[in-house]
Amino acid sequence: MERVPCTDLAPVDAILARYPREEPSLIQVLQDVQRAYNYLPCEALERVAGELGVPLAKVFSVATFYKAFSLNPQGRTIIKVCTGTACHIRGASQLIEEVQRRLDIGPGETTGDMAFSLQTVNCVGACAMAPVVIVGEKYVGAAKATTLATYLDRGE
Amino acid sequence: MRIESHQQFDAAVEAARAAKLSKGREVWVCCGTGCLANGSRAVAKAFDERIEAEGLQASLGLYHKTTGCHGFCERGPLVVIQPEGLLYTKVKVTDVPEILEKTVRNGEAIPRLQYKDPVTKQAVAKYEDIPFYKHQIRVSMRNIGRVDPEDLDDALAHGAYSGLAKALFAMTPDQVIAEIEASGLRGRGGAGFATARKWKACRKAKGERKFVLCNGDEGDPGAFKDRSIMEGDPHSVIEGMIIGAYAIGAHEGYLYVRDEYPLAVVNLGKAIEAARLRGLLGANILGSGFDFDLRISRGGGAFVCGESSALMRSIEGRTGEPRAKYVHASDKGLFDLPTNLNNVETWSDVGAIIANGGAWFAGWGTPKSKGTKAFSLVGKVKNTGLIELPMGTTLRHIIEDIGGGILKDRPFKAVQTGGPSGGCLPADQLDLPVDYEVLSENGSMMGSGGMIVMDDRTCMVDVARYFLKFLCEESCGKCVPCREGLKQMLHIFEDLCAGRGRPGDIERIERLCHAMQLGSLCELGKSAPNPVLSTLRYFRHEYEAHIQDRACPAGMCRDLTAYEIVEEPCTGCHQCTRVCPTDAISGKPKQKHVIDPAKCISCGSCFDVCPEDCIRFFPKNGSKEAANAHADH
Amino acid sequence: MPTLTIDGKTVHAPHGTFLLAACRAAGIEIPTLCEHPAVEPYGGCRLCVVDVTRPEWNGWNKMVVACLFPVEDGIIVDTRSERVLETRRVVLDLLLARCPETPLIQALAGSYGVTKTSFVLNPEPTDCILCGLCTRICDRMGISAISSVDRGAGREIAPPFKEPPPDCVGCLACAEICPTNHIRYEASDGRRRIWGKDFEMLRCPRCGRAHITVAQADFFAGKNGVPRSYFETCDACKRKELAATATKLAGGASTPAVEQGTR
Ligand SMILES: Cc1cc2nc3c(=O)[nH]c(=O)nc-3n(C[C@H](O)[C@H](O)[C@H](O)COP(=O)(O)O)c2cc1C
Ligand code: SF4
Ligand code: FES
Ligand code: FES
Repeated sequence: MERVPCTDLAPVDAILARYPREEPSLIQVLQDVQRAYNYLPCEALERVAGELGVPLAKVFSVATFYKAFSLNPQGRTIIKVCTGTACHIRGASQLIEEVQRRLDIGPGETTGDMAFSLQTVNCVGACAMAPVVIVGEKYVGAAKATTLATYLDRGE
Repeated sequence: MRIESHQQFDAAVEAARAAKLSKGREVWVCCGTGCLANGSRAVAKAFDERIEAEGLQASLGLYHKTTGCHGFCERGPLVVIQPEGLLYTKVKVTDVPEILEKTVRNGEAIPRLQYKDPVTKQAVAKYEDIPFYKHQIRVSMRNIGRVDPEDLDDALAHGAYSGLAKALFAMTPDQVIAEIEASGLRGRGGAGFATARKWKACRKAKGERKFVLCNGDEGDPGAFKDRSIMEGDPHSVIEGMIIGAYAIGAHEGYLYVRDEYPLAVVNLGKAIEAARLRGLLGANILGSGFDFDLRISRGGGAFVCGESSALMRSIEGRTGEPRAKYVHASDKGLFDLPTNLNNVETWSDVGAIIANGGAWFAGWGTPKSKGTKAFSLVGKVKNTGLIELPMGTTLRHIIEDIGGGILKDRPFKAVQTGGPSGGCLPADQLDLPVDYEVLSENGSMMGSGGMIVMDDRTCMVDVARYFLKFLCEESCGKCVPCREGLKQMLHIFEDLCAGRGRPGDIERIERLCHAMQLGSLCELGKSAPNPVLSTLRYFRHEYEAHIQDRACPAGMCRDLTAYEIVEEPCTGCHQCTRVCPTDAISGKPKQKHVIDPAKCISCGSCFDVCPEDCIRFFPKNGSKEAANAHADH
Repeated sequence: MPTLTIDGKTVHAPHGTFLLAACRAAGIEIPTLCEHPAVEPYGGCRLCVVDVTRPEWNGWNKMVVACLFPVEDGIIVDTRSERVLETRRVVLDLLLARCPETPLIQALAGSYGVTKTSFVLNPEPTDCILCGLCTRICDRMGISAISSVDRGAGREIAPPFKEPPPDCVGCLACAEICPTNHIRYEASDGRRRIWGKDFEMLRCPRCGRAHITVAQADFFAGKNGVPRSYFETCDACKRKELAATATKLAGGASTPAVEQGTR
């Protein structure tokens, strides 16, 4: 695995301060770390393991088990294409292909300039508007490949 | 202010009701996930500002509130004007002044914003008259879309916590369980286990420390009723859990909410905070002497964590690996202590059942499945959204009368229920009444209540492949039949969809299905074959077409399908060229267009937009290699 | 003590034990891959499936894993019903596809008549069957240096970040418990290497054999609150010392047995 060095662990300490120092806090803490950094830096995991008293191997196991976590830095804008059943039968795969064509990244990948990451999610609970794409914080319902371009303009 | 006695509770409810009545008119703006996506926050803000700026509260007695998801997200942002109950759909910020001026001041309707019935093409003025709502009976979703989820007083005015007050002050725990038993309530999270029996077992379990948990993982893709309940009426879930804890003798609880539902986490958190402040949670609830408190645990994005033992491991901060259930959670669950887990909807039903009596709830439904059930109706139907109906309603009623039939009036092919553990039911099963037993006997499942409607442009082999791929990623990987079996099954299905199917594949699939059902550790692996077996049962001919003819009858498997434009009605309207992602279509305006087979990736986008129906698909015939070889000649 | 019937034999088994032990005590062979007396049962390999019937529950019948199913009075167990054998065959068939070159799997599959997998061969053959014994023994030792990583089809066993594991003390318990010898290590006199991490060895002050890693001795010393020197002497020498002391106390021969080691 390639380590992406991370030096500023102040946000991790701030997060840890909000939770009891015990194993049940682990997933909650990692959620917040993921949100703060857009990924889970190795150093952050080491700090979390030490502070919560959970073996590092267990922390790594949890960090790789759950889909909400990623060990690689994510792009500034994350594009989540829903691939839940309702979205699947209403053409989610065409949306993924469209993003792939435009940004040259597959699911789980990030553009070289760190502008975008493409992720797939299994239903975001907005199935009535299928197919759904979430660009950053914005939910795009009844998404069409042709209109997706407007959301993918660089530098958003 | 903390409520510290039964009397004070009644007084608080009275005050809340009076406050509600004093508001002559109200504008409700839906701020559920769906409507928010469509920009409802800005609409709500616009109403707020205008009402403030123009002093409409004083002059018209007009108030504004935001509500949770009506389940009609497709037409959002939704605005309802009370007390008339007028509904406006797809409201934009720029519509706000007009609504205030015309509708609120002058009682004039704005036809442009009214809902148009896709079947009759008629405008429908009132919320309650829309076919989508007309047929519904809402118990678990009783207050969604009617209360402001962030306003505890509003919830109290709508009857929240009255079941709790009754349980705490007028019933013993055993009486509470008896009432639930009389209601016939069964788990709404999938398996349909009798709720009262589960509570009894946990009540009986030895131990001082016990837990009640709420399963808000809602992992079945295509289901979102739990999201809507948690977002739109969090107090109904909290109330149910306190009642359950009282019946069982538990003092701690966790709400396990999936990470993909950020708004549900926020609204539940605020509701818990508000309930604590008012003495509805914490020590000595309502002065009854009963203590109970709740915490939220956010899931990490894993379908398997909906499974009860995996969910408990996840709350403990570990990976969500299921454990064998020869020892029940009621004896050894969370932290190895007695635990009772119920689904969001189950919990939401509880308060209403206690307030209105078990017999009231049991008045709906079939002999074995009582009460009402929430479903999310999605896929290729005209009206998509959330519905709650008595058990025993037929699939036909749901899809045709409520759903308004199939999108673009294409032929119906199947309805998928029960998510990845469920199955697909074909047209000749549409008159089946929906209840736990009927669905299982016919190869599907109740599951979380997702109903995904499919038309003739859905390939059933591809649907099975889709669920296998989903499960392959979501299996925890602990046991061999599920982990390795899914991987191998997916191999076979990928071959089928790519035209590499071989004779004997169906038999291999069946053998594998059987071993997975018998040998897997948890229900994920045991039920994983259901989508495969049900499609094999009802759509075997599609499998055979994929294997023998290398053809996809639905035209969805790209490697097997080619497209062409038929001479006649093509008017050269250009719509297809605009959607084609590979620019494979060419033609002068107003002249017949052609598809370049070398560029076409068979995505079907053109087929879906063609207004003249002049695009045809046909089997590529033979494997891709064969087709390529053919093209070379 | 519960009395049950296994393959027609009447068997008594103590309360709180599992079917697997009862079967084995009755001389009935049950195949297992993820079970080991040193660790808690896991139920991952699913080879130990058996058919259980509860006559007083209206003939209630289910397939369960013997390693985790607690013994019950009056149940009837069939360890070789057709569906049990078929399930084991499919499981072994799947494992053979995953681990086509692993002698243990080949042999076990062969004994169930599976000589060639009917599934797609793993393009990257491995010996790891994901039985979880290594991680469980490591947890059991209180170390937890390695764990399962990822989930579903992508699951594997690895140290954190797939780098040499900081918590590993080089005790080799994982390698020794691994049923397929998948976990490799190198040991020479004075050095040890496992999971890509190198360890320095302690020599027994008596016999001079390098028998324990420094990290291991430190770990056990810290955990048990005893001086590290306690772990320096190898077990063999400790036994000899003990024997000598006992002999001395018994007033026997006084030849010191301890100074025999060569340095
Ligand atoms: C793989 C799997 C996923 C599940 N997902 C959910 C879920 O998302 N929500 C839920 O309420 N129950 C889910 N269940 C069912 C739960 O295990 C459990 O039966 C249920 O939460 C109990 O509540 P109930 O009795 O109120 O239905 C799932 C089960 C399995 C095996
Ligand atoms: S059946 Fe699947 S999800 Fe369940 S324990 Fe086995 S591998 Fe995990
Ligand atoms: S399936 Fe895409 S939002 Fe539910
Ligand atoms: S020994 Fe029982 S499942 Fe492996």
